[in-house]
Amino acid sequence: MHLLIVEDDRVIADHIVSGLNLIGHSTTLARTGAEAIRAWAGQPHHAVVLDRMLPDIDGIAVIDHLRSNGDPVPVLMLSALGSTKNRIEGLQAGADDYLAKPFSLDELAARLHAITRRGASRGSKAGLEVGGLQLDASSHRAAFLGKTVTLNRKQYSLLAHLMSNADRVVTKAMLLEAVWSYSFSTATNIVESNMSRLRTALQDIGCDPIETQRGAGYILRSDRCA
Amino acid sequence: MRLIGSIFVRPSRLGRLAIQFGLAFAIAMIAIGMIGFSLADHWVSSRIDQSLTYHTAKYVSKVEEDPAEDLHLRAAILEWQHRKVLSERTYLLFDRDKRRVAGRLDVTPPPAGFSDVRFTAGGRHYEVGRALATRLRSGGLFVVVQHSEAAEGLHALLPIVVLAISLVALLLGVSATLLFARLTATRLAETQNTAAAIAAGDLSRRIPTDRLDGMFAVQADSLNQMLDHMAELVRAQQLFSSNLAHDLRTPLTRLRGLLEQASRDDQSSFASLLDRAERECSSIISIFDALLRLAEIETGQHPSTMAPVPLRPLMEDIADTMEPVITDRGGTFGVRRLDDVVITGDPDLINQLLINLLDNVATHTPPGTSVTLGLERAHGSAMITICDDGPGLAIGEYARVTQPFERGSAVSSRKGSGLGLAIASAIARFHRGSLELIDAAPGLEVRIRIPANDDGDTLETPGLAHGS
Repeated sequence: MHLLIVEDDRVIADHIVSGLNLIGHSTTLARTGAEAIRAWAGQPHHAVVLDRMLPDIDGIAVIDHLRSNGDPVPVLMLSALGSTKNRIEGLQAGADDYLAKPFSLDELAARLHAITRRGASRGSKAGLEVGGLQLDASSHRAAFLGKTVTLNRKQYSLLAHLMSNADRVVTKAMLLEAVWSYSFSTATNIVESNMSRLRTALQDIGCDPIETQRGAGYILRSDRCA
Repeated sequence: MRLIGSIFVRPSRLGRLAIQFGLAFAIAMIAIGMIGFSLADHWVSSRIDQSLTYHTAKYVSKVEEDPAEDLHLRAAILEWQHRKVLSERTYLLFDRDKRRVAGRLDVTPPPAGFSDVRFTAGGRHYEVGRALATRLRSGGLFVVVQHSEAAEGLHALLPIVVLAISLVALLLGVSATLLFARLTATRLAETQNTAAAIAAGDLSRRIPTDRLDGMFAVQADSLNQMLDHMAELVRAQQLFSSNLAHDLRTPLTRLRGLLEQASRDDQSSFASLLDRAERECSSIISIFDALLRLAEIETGQHPSTMAPVPLRPLMEDIADTMEPVITDRGGTFGVRRLDDVVITGDPDLINQLLINLLDNVATHTPPGTSVTLGLERAHGSAMITICDDGPGLAIGEYARVTQPFERGSAVSSRKGSGLGLAIASAIARFHRGSLELIDAAPGLEVRIRIPANDDGDTLETPGLAHGS
């Protein structure tokens, strides 16, 4: 992907650029809002990583500029303002996701993937299907090659989220937001413990396509559901 | 001496106040005097007029319809003159040619009705009187004159009385105000001195109340109470800052140690050192996240979506979420009884309240500790209970542990942000509820009470059953 990074802090900007380059993305760096708008006009980008507080204009003004030109480019907003209120402000302004500083690069990369492929969900209201693995929404039952297992509400939501993001890394923070709708961080291993239950249940029907990505999160491999 | 001195430091302000009050008092007294005088004057005049009317009627009514009324009246006046030698009242009769035919007063005939007349009664001096003249059918004029000495006396007194009253009132007003101002200033000086000392940085000073009385004592007491409360807040804030600094020092020290070790060691240990450093960073970040959240809730900055929250499904969800966490530590997770109760609240905050309390059990009790969750409706409130069979708290720690960065003494490690219970407590208060810690012997019971919606229960429950 070709990404536009808008960040005025040199150390953070270098960290983002080198990290994203390392995992195969190309980047353009802008240090001010004006630079960002010029860079945007110069060449197309797949997504924008935008710092909220820039030396010249507010990051929200940059989003306004992009959106006023009718551009639906996904925007991930970065900010040192990490309260729930700031987050809601950012999302209401048109950002597709909001990440508070400090953040890990894995988190940033996973969220960028999620927002660039948003809408490509596979499945219907009745259920989801990845390879031979099926998930029924009304009975909360997972089925693989004729074997079925009933999941509780949390295990069902976890599997549903992973299946609709198959082959993409999903971080713990993303799961807490999507599955639990928690806006706070927890001291205990809520995601790990519930994930381990889900995987035990899936092993019972002979299909565990979930892989733990060390330090990053989880990924559901579609090729393991064949 | 200092007190007296401070009063005379600003004599002009006090003096001006005294003169203003004195003048206002004097003006008020003059106004009252003038109103009183004019009322008395009016009363005397009306009495004279009544008397004139009465006496005129007495004479004229006897001779009405009589062709010889002049003669009769003349006879009556002469008879009266014969009887009364001295009187303040005099009767006169004029014929149609304005000639006096009876009566001893030397006066020109006044017009009919009431009028003021000037006359001489034998002497040279003119005197003033009130007259009532009545036109007779014969064309003559019957006049009764009253020599109004009382009214004249009153008029003569007016300027002197008014002047005297104003002077006395001015004097009284000024001295009363000066006295009052001085007494007030003496009492306020204590407060001023204390306020100055506090402004200079001595927050331990209080207003001495032993020499004060009445409203000054009441005011000083309430100010002292306010100062006590403020001092307590400042103390809590200082404790908070020093605890925060201390809590950050621990992971920062470890982080620095890890970095130093990494600079000495060979590359092979890098991976594990970096992993540990990452964990220390996470713990610092979690302290800041929790701090931000606590501030958000306590200052009302949280973008709250207050709505009817049915607690039972919310708690079933929490039970589903936390059961694996507790079971993974070797304990059991039990759900006692869940009543259908609806409260008005923010679901995100209520979730955090419960997760924080269960996080506390999971991080601060030995492995194998079991938890029981309960929800009852009692006295118009939802009562949530979280009960564990761990070591509990020592006596005296119950009040302390809900404060930021305070942990029970049995907690050996400094795990968690140290703010979990403080945040839970703040969330309970945000919902106009309370959080209470009770010795469950063995273990600890946390009891949260939040006012329940009275009408909400019956309305919400069928909808929920349908929804789930």
